[in-house]
Amino acid sequence: MKHKLLPLSETMHYILLALREPLHGYAVMQKIEKISNGTAILAAGTLYGAIENLNKHGWIVPVGNSGRRKIYMITTEGSAILKMEQERLLHILSLYEGSESNEEV
Amino acid sequence: MKKFNMYFNMEKEEQWLNEQLQKGYRCTNISGLGIYTFKKTDKRHVMRLDYQDYLPKKKFEEYKGIYEDFGWIYIKGYWLGGIRYWQKEDDDQNEIFSDRQSKGNYYKRLMGYSFGLGMLCLFFSYMLYKNHSGLYFEGLWSMKGALFWKAFLFETPFVLLKLFPALLVIVLGNSFYKAYRKYSMLKEK
Repeated sequence: MKHKLLPLSETMHYILLALREPLHGYAVMQKIEKISNGTAILAAGTLYGAIENLNKHGWIVPVGNSGRRKIYMITTEGSAILKMEQERLLHILSLYEGSESNEEV
Repeated sequence: MKKFNMYFNMEKEEQWLNEQLQKGYRCTNISGLGIYTFKKTDKRHVMRLDYQDYLPKKKFEEYKGIYEDFGWIYIKGYWLGGIRYWQKEDDDQNEIFSDRQSKGNYYKRLMGYSFGLGMLCLFFSYMLYKNHSGLYFEGLWSMKGALFWKAFLFETPFVLLKLFPALLVIVLGNSFYKAYRKYSMLKEK
C-alpha cells in the first residue's frame, strides 16, 4: 500500500523542498511564501503538525538550535520521496504535452 | 470583566469567545471552572482553540514557540492535555490551520478526546448504576401529600447528579459524531 502521506500535499511538498537547506519552523513558512510566489501561506498549527509528522516518518530531522527554535533539515529518505514525487509529476506533465490527451478529446 | 460559561463543544466555545472579543475585549485568563476573564481593549483580537494531548516539556516548548512566532499568545492549556487557547491581534492571518490535512487531523484529535472521555463516563455510569438501586430513595414512593413533594424536590438534585455521567456520555457521543462528520467530509476530497 502507498504511504499515507503520498502523494504529498501541497504543504508537505513545499516543506520538504524548503528544508533542502537547514531552517527553523518560522523561516520555513517565510521561505515557502517566497518560493510559492505568495500562494502558499502556512498557518501555525499546520506548520507544527506537518513538521511533527515529517519528523515522525524520518523525512526531516532536527539538526540544531537557533535560540529556542529547532532547526530541521531533510533526510536521505525525505530526498528519495521528493525524487519519487518529481518523477510522478514529470509523468503527469508529459501527459499535458503529449498526443494521447489530444486523441481522447 | 468575568463571565461564566460551560461548554462541552469546542467549536461553540470558540465561537462564543470570539463574539466577546468582537465587543472590544481580549481574554486574559480562563479558569478550569468555566470562568473567563476579559479586559477592554481598543485593538481587535481573535481566539482559536487547538486540541493537543499531553506534550512533554520539550515538545510543548516547540509547539508554543512556533505559534508565538506567528503572533499567537498562549492563554490557557491543561498540563495533561486538552484544549489549548490561543489569542492574537486580528489581521489577515487569523487561522491556525491552512490546509485540509491539518484541519482533518485536528478533528481526528477531537474524536480521540470525545471517545476517551466518553468511555470514562460510560465506565463511571456503569459503576454507579450496576447495583440497580432506583434513582430515588425507595421509601419516597410510599410517602403522601406535601411530605412526598418535599422529599421529591429534596432528592431531585441528587438524582440529576447521579444521572450526570450518563448525560455526559450522550453529550460526548454527540460531539464525537460531529467531529467524525467533519473529519470524513475533509477526507473525502
